[in-house]
Amino acid sequence: MIVALGLAELKLLLRNRTAAALAVLMPMAAGLYFALAMDGEQTGWTMVVTLQLLFSFGFTVYVTVTTALTARRQDLYLKRLRTGAASDVVVLTGVLLPVVLLGLAQALVLTGISVVAGAPMPARPELVVAALVGGLALSCAAGVFTSGVTGTAELAQITTAPFFFALVAGGLVGSSGAVDLPVFLVPGTGLGTLVAAAWGGPTDQVGPAALSLALWAIAATALATRFFR
Amino acid sequence: MAAMGETVIDVADLRCRYGDFEAVRGVDFEVRRGELFALLGTNGAGKTTTMETLEGLRAPFGGTVRVLGLDPFRDRAALRPRTGIMLQDSGFPADLTARELAALWGVTSGRRATEDVLERLDLGHRRDVRVKQLSGGERRRLDLALAVLGRPELLFLDEPTTGLDPESRQRTWDVVRGLLAEGTTVVLTTHYLEEAESLAHRLAILHEGLVAVSGALADVLAAQPARIEFDLPEPLDVGALPMLSGDVVHRPSGRVEVRTAALQDDLGVLLAWAGREGLRLGRIRAHHASLEDVFHNARTGREVVAA
Repeated sequence: MIVALGLAELKLLLRNRTAAALAVLMPMAAGLYFALAMDGEQTGWTMVVTLQLLFSFGFTVYVTVTTALTARRQDLYLKRLRTGAASDVVVLTGVLLPVVLLGLAQALVLTGISVVAGAPMPARPELVVAALVGGLALSCAAGVFTSGVTGTAELAQITTAPFFFALVAGGLVGSSGAVDLPVFLVPGTGLGTLVAAAWGGPTDQVGPAALSLALWAIAATALATRFFR
Repeated sequence: MAAMGETVIDVADLRCRYGDFEAVRGVDFEVRRGELFALLGTNGAGKTTTMETLEGLRAPFGGTVRVLGLDPFRDRAALRPRTGIMLQDSGFPADLTARELAALWGVTSGRRATEDVLERLDLGHRRDVRVKQLSGGERRRLDLALAVLGRPELLFLDEPTTGLDPESRQRTWDVVRGLLAEGTTVVLTTHYLEEAESLAHRLAILHEGLVAVSGALADVLAAQPARIEFDLPEPLDVGALPMLSGDVVHRPSGRVEVRTAALQDDLGVLLAWAGREGLRLGRIRAHHASLEDVFHNARTGREVVAA
C-alpha cells in the first residue's frame, strides 16, 4: 500500500512543474553552484557541504512536504484516502516517502559532487549519517506541522519561509566552528556542527549538536501530530 | 452468506456536534441487507454528518452506531474492505489519470478489482486522461467506479448525481440498480426526490437534525393524502359540492383542492355529481402523494408517521 501511495505521490510531484522545479531543479542548481563556484578550498568545504544538505532538506523535503500535503488536503485527496483501507499512518508515510527519498538522494549526489570537485572524504562518516538522518527527520516533521497551519498550497510559499531561513542561518553558524550553547536553539545549528565535526572540525560540541537536532526533530514531530489533521 | 433482511446498519439516538452546534440531535433508523436506504433532507438537515459517522470518518457525540455489527469509527480497518464510499467531493488529485487512480484504489481500498470498473461506468475510452481534463460528469462516474471497485457489500453514496445531466443520472441509476440486483446494500443521500422515489426501498427524511419521516417508501407515500384539484365554474361555491371524505380547500384563484385518503371514491363522487349537473370542472388533476409532498410536509413541520 505504501509503495502504491508513494508511486502515485511521485507522479504527482513530477507532473506539477512548479513543485518539481522547486523540489528537484532548485536545490540541484544551488548545490552545484556551492560545489563549483564557491571555491571550497578558500571558504571551507564544510560550509559547502552544509549548504548542500540544508538546501536538499530545506527545499526538497521541508518546502515540498508542506506544499504537497497542503495541496492534497485541499484536493480532499487525503479525505478520500481515509475512506480506503490504509490507516492514517500508512497514508502519511506513503505520501512522505518519495519526498524523503528524493531529498536523501539529492543530498548524497551533491555531497558526491563536492568530493569530486576536491572536498576530502569525511573523517567521521558516522556523523554524516547522523546529520542526514536527523536533518531528514527534522525537515519532514516540520513540513507536516507547517502544512497543518497552512490553509492553501499558495500560502505555503509564505508559511515555509521562517523555518527555512532559520534552518539555513543556524546551519551556517553551526558549520563555522564553536558556538555558544544557546545558539543550538536555532534548528539548523546542530546539523552544521555535525557536518563540521565529520569533516575534521572540532568534535567537542558533537553532543549538544546531536541533542539539538534530535530535540528539534522530536519537537517538530510533536507539533506535527498536534496540528496536522 | 448472511440472509436478506438482516440489519446491516443500526443507528440509535445518534448525536453529532460541531463545537456547540448540535447538527444531529438524536436520530434512529436501521438499514437492512440488500435494500437501498435513502437519507433525505434539506441542506443542513444533518444528512452528510450522519453519513460521515456511518462511514467512520467522524466519531458520534452520543448514541450508538453499528455497521455490519461493528463500530464504524473504531473498527475502521476491519470495515473498510467491506464498504465502498462515494463522498460528496471526489478528492481526486488533478494530475493522475483515471487508470492510475483505479490501480491505486485497487490497492488502497483493501479490495481486489474483480472487473474493469472503468468499462462498467463507460469510462474505458477515457482511462488515460488526467482527472483535471475529465468533465464534471465523468469525474462523478469515476468516483462511483472507485466506490464499487471490488464489489463492496455495503455502499455509501453521498449525492452521487448532483450536477449530472439527465442521461448521466440515468446511467448512474442503472449501475446502482445493477448493484442492488447483485445483493449490495446501498445508503444514498440525494437532493433529487425522484431519484429516491425511483430507487429507494426505505427512507428517512431528516429535518433540523431529527428524523421527520421514516419507513418503507410505499408506506410513507400511502400515509400522505392524495390530491384532487380543479377549477370550479362561477358562480358556484364549495358549498355546492357533494359529500367528500377528504378536506376541501377553495383557493382565492378559484381552484379547489381536495386532500383525501380515498382518492378513487371521492373522484367518482365528484365526477358523477359534475355529470349530473352538467358542469365542466376546469383543468382537473388527481394524483397520489409524491415524495415531494411528503418532503414538503416534513419541512413545514406537519406531523407524518408511517408504519
